[in-house]
Amino acid sequence: MALLEVNDLRVSFDTAAGRILALNGVSFSLNRGEVLALLGESGSGKSVTASAIMDLVPNPPGAIDHGSIRFDGSELLQLPRQERRDLCGDRIALIFQDALAALNPVYPVGWQIAEMFRIHGRTVQGGVEKAVIDLLTAIGIPDPERRAKQYPHEFSGGMRQRIMIAMAVALEPDVIIADEPTTALDVTIQAQVVDLLNAIRKRSDAGMIFITHDLGVVAELADRVAVMYAGRIVETASVFELFDDARHPYSVGLLASQPRMDTDEDELVPIPGSAPNPAALPSGCAFRTRCPRAEKLCAEVVPHLETVGPGREVACHFPVSPA
Amino acid sequence: MTEPLLKVQNLSRHFGGTSAPVRAVDDVSFEIARGETLGLVGESGCGKTSLVRTLLKLGPATGGSALIDGVDITRSSGRQLHELRRRMQVVFQDPYQSLNPRMRVDRLISEPWALHPGIVPKSLWRAETVKLLESVGLRAEHAERYPSEFSGGQRQRLGIARALTLNPTLLVCDEPVSALDVSVQAQVVNLLSRLRRERNLAMLFVAHDLAVVRHISDRVMVMYLGKIIETGPKHSIFSAPAHPYTQALLSAVPTPDPRLRGKRKRIVLQGDLPSPVNPPSGCRFRTRCWKATSICAEQEPALTARTSAHGLLTACHHAEADPAVAGE
Repeated sequence: MALLEVNDLRVSFDTAAGRILALNGVSFSLNRGEVLALLGESGSGKSVTASAIMDLVPNPPGAIDHGSIRFDGSELLQLPRQERRDLCGDRIALIFQDALAALNPVYPVGWQIAEMFRIHGRTVQGGVEKAVIDLLTAIGIPDPERRAKQYPHEFSGGMRQRIMIAMAVALEPDVIIADEPTTALDVTIQAQVVDLLNAIRKRSDAGMIFITHDLGVVAELADRVAVMYAGRIVETASVFELFDDARHPYSVGLLASQPRMDTDEDELVPIPGSAPNPAALPSGCAFRTRCPRAEKLCAEVVPHLETVGPGREVACHFPVSPA
Repeated sequence: MTEPLLKVQNLSRHFGGTSAPVRAVDDVSFEIARGETLGLVGESGCGKTSLVRTLLKLGPATGGSALIDGVDITRSSGRQLHELRRRMQVVFQDPYQSLNPRMRVDRLISEPWALHPGIVPKSLWRAETVKLLESVGLRAEHAERYPSEFSGGQRQRLGIARALTLNPTLLVCDEPVSALDVSVQAQVVNLLSRLRRERNLAMLFVAHDLAVVRHISDRVMVMYLGKIIETGPKHSIFSAPAHPYTQALLSAVPTPDPRLRGKRKRIVLQGDLPSPVNPPSGCRFRTRCWKATSICAEQEPALTARTSAHGLLTACHHAEADPAVAGE
């Protein structure tokens, strides 16, 4: 059985432009020890998926309208609020993109890491203070005894992101959700953080959902990839299958539009147009207005995810043929 | 060789008092030829933005000069600066903040013509606006809309159209695609490539995305802590970088190929960027460099040819190509 199973999740928000569907039937599963990348562009619904799992969808204006999120056998959407909150942070942890906004500026970072143990009532052998120092050491912060007493503004952006990671893994959660944890970082610092996350996943048996728009990071870290577009998952595949043999025209377009470091291309091959307005999605397939393969059927019938191979699903009436 | 379009010599930009200034740009020299694209890369705090702002004279230079067609930007003011700005236009990073939300597109585009009379007569504004919009992939009817009615990619096209109104010879692009989605990025990169071919535009292309810089540039310049530490034709920089920092930078770029996972040499830099108020003596990179020796603390390495790579200039006492970290 999968560790985390999301089924037909629908989330909507009230906006000035009317009610918009941020998630329009999202289903995926995550196994122990697995890294699943949610790959998509802004507005595709990646972060809303994370918020829904963590019970962080602001209500109002947002609401989970439909669907189920099963974690380790229990249905999260049916749990009493307090039980659900206890679970989040303890067994399911979230690493935010913006570490400066996520850390409290008026408390030392050591205190904030220790708070994880206090709030969730954990006692640790050797004391919480030692656990904090061990965590700071594990994430490569030099001079941890002194650094634990410092405030977030005294750390660089990369260190703050590593502190977020330390907080997320402090209670050894079963699921780690990382929401664009490297997007705001410089490339050399990004490499450090990706290496750290890789080391953590090798040490623990946790499943990780890695939210990103960066194909390079996906290639470095993910086992499986779910490609999102306009509130739906349009393709799931192993990382190798996706890069070698993408089937959904959007995935194919995304891969082709990236300049490469190892070959010279005369012209990049962009996807025409831009992401649709979520308040006025095209009928049928939301990608059809930008799709080179679109036909009449695409405007009429919404394509649903269909299994096309072991662990492979595509939501497209006219998928690209296997390579 | 013909006279370069832009000739920057010993340019510095310091902030704060004279006792302990922040040396954001420190004694930087380079050239851009007509029609050439120079990519500028480096991480936050390396001085990219300060350099760009000094070149555009959005802030004063502390020292040195920047000649465009032989006229020093840093010493220009009034009418002369106004004239220089015609030749040198900028595309900003954030297309949401760089366009006046209260101006309709036709006014946004024609405003520079009102400020620089004599380039396009008023009777032709409408026709020229349409031509420009079409040249950046927008349509005539877009002239009657407001910026809020456009997507990010379209706004960046507007920003480019506006930068082209005065027929500049140099286009400074400060992270022009980093705010855009990946699928849209490629559209704007292709647009810039086409425009520079058609108009023989020279470009200074600032970006942190190395793959984009590699795609669009003829030459590339790497900055670290206010200094140019390596520069050369893009194939020399990307296939035979000789500066340890360039090597670390290239090795850190994730490769979009899962089969290469863990197979590439990755140089992980230790520590953080030192403060530009009190930069390390000698080579500024030495505090994080695995090759540093005593000479690095004593002597600042000059930016000069140190390896066999074609046209490559490296500011490092221990410059040496490392094939294992070449990006190409």
